[in-house]
Amino acid sequence: MIAAAWICLFAPLGAAIAITLLGQRLTRRGAGYLATTSVGMSFVAALVSFAGLLGDSPSQRYHPSTLWRWLTAGPYDFGMRITVDPLSAFMMLVVAGVGFLIVWYSIGYMDGDDEERRYFAYMALFVFSMLLLVQSGNLLLLLAGWGLVGLSSYLLIGFWHERPSAIAAAKKAFVMNAVGDATMALALFLLIQRTRSLDFEKVFPQAPAFGGWAANLIALGLLGGAVAKSAQLPLQTWLPDAMEGPTPVSALIHAATMVTAGVYLIVRTHTLFEAAPRVEELAAGLGAATLLLAGLIALVQTDIKRVIAYSTMSQIGYMFLGVGLGAYANGMFHLMTHAFFKALLFMAAGIVIHALAGEQDMRRMGGLRQFLPRTYWAFMVGALALAGVPPFAGFFSKDSILAAALAHGWYGQLLWVVGMVGTFLTGLYTFRMLFMAFWGEPSAFVREHFHALNRDVVGVSLAVPVGVLTVLAALGGWLQFADVWTPVSNWLEPVAPALVEASGLQEAASSAIAVVLGIAGIGVAWWIYGARRAEAPRSLPLLEHKFYFDELYDALFYRPAVFLANALLKWVERPLVFGSVRELAGAIRELGLETRSIQTGLVRTYALAIAASVAVATLVFVVVR
Amino acid sequence: MNGPDVVWYLCVAAFLFCTGALGVLIRRSPLIVLLSLEIMLNGSNLALIAFARHHGREDGQIFALAVMAVAASEVVVGLGLIVAMARRRLDLDVDKLRTLRG
Amino acid sequence: MILAAASAGNVLVWIVWVLAAFACLGSGIAVISFSNPFYSALSLIGNLASLAVLYLLLSAEFVAAAQVLVYAGAVMVMFLFVIAYLGGRADAPWAGGPSWQALGAVAASAALLVEIIVVIALKTSGRLSHSAKVDYFYGRPYEIGRLFLTDHLLAFEITSIVLLIAAVGGVILGSHSRETQ
Repeated sequence: MIAAAWICLFAPLGAAIAITLLGQRLTRRGAGYLATTSVGMSFVAALVSFAGLLGDSPSQRYHPSTLWRWLTAGPYDFGMRITVDPLSAFMMLVVAGVGFLIVWYSIGYMDGDDEERRYFAYMALFVFSMLLLVQSGNLLLLLAGWGLVGLSSYLLIGFWHERPSAIAAAKKAFVMNAVGDATMALALFLLIQRTRSLDFEKVFPQAPAFGGWAANLIALGLLGGAVAKSAQLPLQTWLPDAMEGPTPVSALIHAATMVTAGVYLIVRTHTLFEAAPRVEELAAGLGAATLLLAGLIALVQTDIKRVIAYSTMSQIGYMFLGVGLGAYANGMFHLMTHAFFKALLFMAAGIVIHALAGEQDMRRMGGLRQFLPRTYWAFMVGALALAGVPPFAGFFSKDSILAAALAHGWYGQLLWVVGMVGTFLTGLYTFRMLFMAFWGEPSAFVREHFHALNRDVVGVSLAVPVGVLTVLAALGGWLQFADVWTPVSNWLEPVAPALVEASGLQEAASSAIAVVLGIAGIGVAWWIYGARRAEAPRSLPLLEHKFYFDELYDALFYRPAVFLANALLKWVERPLVFGSVRELAGAIRELGLETRSIQTGLVRTYALAIAASVAVATLVFVVVR
Repeated sequence: MNGPDVVWYLCVAAFLFCTGALGVLIRRSPLIVLLSLEIMLNGSNLALIAFARHHGREDGQIFALAVMAVAASEVVVGLGLIVAMARRRLDLDVDKLRTLRG
Repeated sequence: MILAAASAGNVLVWIVWVLAAFACLGSGIAVISFSNPFYSALSLIGNLASLAVLYLLLSAEFVAAAQVLVYAGAVMVMFLFVIAYLGGRADAPWAGGPSWQALGAVAASAALLVEIIVVIALKTSGRLSHSAKVDYFYGRPYEIGRLFLTDHLLAFEITSIVLLIAAVGGVILGSHSRETQ
């Protein structure tokens, strides 16, 4: 089991290194197969670990394993340490499983691209980084994985590096993530100061003993990192821009795995958050605010991938809401189902984009239902799951979070209301997207540019993963149903015991209202976009400008930084640094010119110098001796 | 030893040496400079012979003979240089030869 | 000191020494004073001759003979050849006011002289007063030759190489072909 965990971790890394080193000797398709096989191996290894854990009794499901002790000095002991416990096994399965499907899908999607090998190397690197993050047994390695996924995200967003927009988006993502990394590192410093260790089993039991302000600061720092990585308010502006990357990248990194790392972090370090309850509530509040904000913005987006991106932001808001209120297992469950249906949506959208030769603007699409029938049904399943319609996956997971919110007290109930509004919006924007793209008459653009997919390797690799995910999105929700059947909660109980449990009545009421609202949203979307019975209302500039966050950050951070840099250049660097170097060089030159005058070229002068020196030296010698 | 002590011979040698040095430093004609150089060498030869006599061994005389041979070779080369200079119509004045000026 | 060491043989040696020493010093000053190089060369010959006398007084007979034969006989003849060839142009050394160079030179040489004499007279603290006794065989050609070929063989060989180099150098410097180009 431990060996399987290590194989799970290192297989993708091995593939990444192999692809890099083999270079041109490996065919492009071969790189794809190598990457896919390695992630497949990871999934199998994750299954083995999972099976191994199943064999243990629940209280014993905790197996740390240190490969290599890195830093030992006095009381400090940090090492390359992974842990196999219910939470990490859960995440391993999700990451490796969905990752496998998406990397397989990439073989078809990226077929024909010149730099396919680099793509698959980066994807394998990403899977390794994400696995490192979720498998790590101490916070140091978690931070390492955190940074590495940020790096992989940067590399993959900017994959088509000839596009200036892609490069800018990659930089934006990286810089915002760096802010989160910094706050996380500060939190870790505080932890080290308090507990002299970063291993989970040493740090978490000591959490209640921290002082008030220390606990709050640590939790805030971790929250900062989570917020940056998961694109929640206020660090959410990078996620829509990250859609510049290829669609499988959006599916894997910005839907299924990396952006959920923040949720995982909160669940993993929940004892630290529970020691700072205000911060935990802040997390839930931020999640709720993001959920609403993203839902509103998604209503006016015209790029199909951006809609799905804002929907991701919104759904992660749900997850934050859940874990912020202490419903850890529910949040993780939603993470899993969200991975299924969001990846499905992205991949189906990718097929659409591929079929239309790269067009992503929904206003030019229409009537694709006739051209891509299977893709249409896959998309429909994903959309229904997202909107929370039973019996699809999203219904079970989202509603369990909302029900737990109801049970939390006045604050939870406030957030419950927000969550309900969000459910309505979700149905609305999701089906707006579906109706605009697939229903109605085929637009002129579609008629001109559509080309069908072939039944070859490319076609298979595009179709089969989508098919698998469709099934998962449809049936995956049956893994946990309210209070009645809770394997997920039971599984995660030893690691993250839930703080709130909704009663049966609250569950039922919440679910009913949520379903009604979701279907209402679908209905409105159908009224406006499907049946075209009414005109879409004029969109607000506020929404179109994404609540002016980009402009705000530009004014708050970017302009002052540029101003400061220019001022420093003008007032400090030019006169002081360059000037001093120039002065120094000038002085040395002057010195050289002065010394030059000794060289008269006259033999007699030199001889006189020698004679005088001898006289002086002799005198000194005589006097001293 | 009959006659003056070795010390007196050494004083003469010192005087010769310094006279030669003065000549090298003051004169501008290379020929005279060479001659002054010869005086310096002879002064040191005298010192060597005097010390050889003082110690009762002939090693100093060997050294003096070697110095004489080397001085002869040096004069050959020096005079060759002077003749070459004269052939090229250069002024025989060491102050005029300053192409090595920095 | 002079009175204490007075004896017949001694007095003669002293007289010869004084004459030779002053001739040496005088001719030395003459060499650097004359403006005519020819006179300087002749003064140098006189210097060499008086030095030979001093060598004889120091029982270095072979070296004295070599001095006269080689130095005065060969080297100085070379000098005179060249002076004759060059036509005796020279500079007037004491013409013009004393430049700082000349003053510096005089100061340096005077300082050197004073220092050496001080060292000899004061610092040796009597170690130079009693010379070794030498016998009749001191300074014979036999001894010189033996030392050259045993103890100082290296110096002997190197000196011959130096002479060779000088000969080659002389030929090269004197060759005509360079000038016609």
